[in-house]
Amino acid sequence: MAALLIFFGLLGLILINVPIAVAICAVALVGMVVVNGEFGLYNAALTLFDGATSFPLIAIPLFILAGALMNTGGISRRLIAFVSALIGFARGGLAMVNVGVSLFFAEISGSAVADVAAIGSVLIPAMKQRRYKPTFAAAVTSSSASLAIIIPPSIPMILYGAMADTSIVQLFVAGVVPGLLGGLAMLGLCYWFAVRYDLPREEAFSLRRLGKATRDAFWALLLPLIILGGIFGGIVTATEGAGLAVVAALLIGGLIYRELNLPDLYHAMLDGVTQTAVVMLLVATSAVLGLHLTEIELPQNLARAITEATSNKYVVLMLLNVLLLIMGMFLHGAAAIILVVPIVLPLINAVGIDPVHFGIILTLNLAIGQQTPPVASVLVTACSIAKTDIWATTKTNLPFIGVLLLMVLLVTYVPAISMTLVDIFYR
Amino acid sequence: MVLAGRLLHRLLEVVTISLLVFLACIVVAAVVFRYGLNASLPWYDEVASVLLAWITYYGAALAALRRGHLGFSGLVLSLPPRPRMLLFILAEGVVYAVFVSMAWAGWYVLRVMAGETLVSLDWLSLQVTQSVVPIGCVLFIFAQILSTPQAWALSRAGRDAEADEIEAEIARAQAAPSQLDRSPSAGQDRRPDGDR
Repeated sequence: MAALLIFFGLLGLILINVPIAVAICAVALVGMVVVNGEFGLYNAALTLFDGATSFPLIAIPLFILAGALMNTGGISRRLIAFVSALIGFARGGLAMVNVGVSLFFAEISGSAVADVAAIGSVLIPAMKQRRYKPTFAAAVTSSSASLAIIIPPSIPMILYGAMADTSIVQLFVAGVVPGLLGGLAMLGLCYWFAVRYDLPREEAFSLRRLGKATRDAFWALLLPLIILGGIFGGIVTATEGAGLAVVAALLIGGLIYRELNLPDLYHAMLDGVTQTAVVMLLVATSAVLGLHLTEIELPQNLARAITEATSNKYVVLMLLNVLLLIMGMFLHGAAAIILVVPIVLPLINAVGIDPVHFGIILTLNLAIGQQTPPVASVLVTACSIAKTDIWATTKTNLPFIGVLLLMVLLVTYVPAISMTLVDIFYR
Repeated sequence: MVLAGRLLHRLLEVVTISLLVFLACIVVAAVVFRYGLNASLPWYDEVASVLLAWITYYGAALAALRRGHLGFSGLVLSLPPRPRMLLFILAEGVVYAVFVSMAWAGWYVLRVMAGETLVSLDWLSLQVTQSVVPIGCVLFIFAQILSTPQAWALSRAGRDAEADEIEAEIARAQAAPSQLDRSPSAGQDRRPDGDR
């Protein structure tokens, strides 16, 4: 009964456009006052503070800041030039460059929207100029940027790791192989489109140009190597790696490339803190709701009810996939993670699903959610750069969404794809 | 009202950005101390976590001023104006109810905490660190009030705040110093001796 009231209360508030963080808090407050009276409110105020003091989540503002610095400091542009010299010679070269660039650095910043704006505003006009269909240009940009959220470093993974109390480093490592596989599949799909629609090649391959682009992009390429090397090697934590990323992006953009200016920097920081606060307020209020849910033992009861019906973990995973896909269509990724994880975690543990494995499945589902209207901020951004209609673009985007779906199924039912590296290095 | 909104925006900008810079410095300093000087900073985790909470609430007020908190506007925007505006008022009421009660409860908790300090820094009172909850909630309420006229107009016109934000983001990316001219593929069209 209480569970239904909470569910419909939350749904109702979200539907009338109460900010999701506030809706979560409102429902939790009502529940806590009903159970504990006035003390419920004091408890909630304490939890609002404690919920926002999670150490692993400090990585979020820092990675967002580092990404913003990369986008304003000339680092992104050099990476685009490098990838173009590397794979631009293939048929449909610009589409391939688009995928390659996304895999390199999209979503090092937490805002996929800012990244799509940065990559898309360079590559989409270039693609249109080379007679690519605008809907295709928007679709490639949008879905490859979403795929990149499973490649480390990734804000949704940090969020999941903190909520599920799981190693963020292991999540990062687990994302590497599925991310690369998905990238290859998307490159293949681009090639198929290129042959079918006779898309143009860019300049022929030239070692000299590749050499020059590599020299230009040397520092930009070194950046992810240092940071991920530090984190994977166990030298720094994910949070400290994020701190190093900020310093490195500042040094490279400001001192080596000298393209960083103060107004840009100020703006990037302002965007970074605002995005962080939006996500963190969700985290804090969901801690209040989590406290109340634990009080009434809802997640435990749900886990018991489902495990009584089936204890087959593949059936449970299928149910979770469907749930996540639907939530992803209507919610932003961060909100979906924060709402789903605390509730399904006991279930995951009860049927013996590895929380790292589930983290990758969850992140991939949310990547699809960024591509499926009505709520699809990444797709909407790409469409408004390309000046295309969202639904027409979605039609072209379907094969790319298909690749992402295929990746979800593969990663779900072949755990070895994501877990082998984790098993080798950390277990 | 517009001036007050702008002043509050500037104030929150300065506070949150200072906090962020301070946080980044602490994290980097901790790494430098551990590997460079072989000495760890015992207060680092606790202080950094408190800073994150402060960024959360001062930043949340800033986001409220820009009406940037995540929500689902799909249903409301599809309604005719009259029910849409009624739901707008209802939703605003929920926001005020939540933050007024949390400001009050946060203030009460603060008084109970007199005399307690952080574990790693015994001169820093919990009353200071926890003050962010009541202060943040009050600032959030101010931000909500000051941004109401604009949000009301936006909702009346049936527009979505997020669409505006995306447009601004694209405008900024496109204004970045002639990225397109220097992108390899665009440059190549103009080069007569291109090796295509």
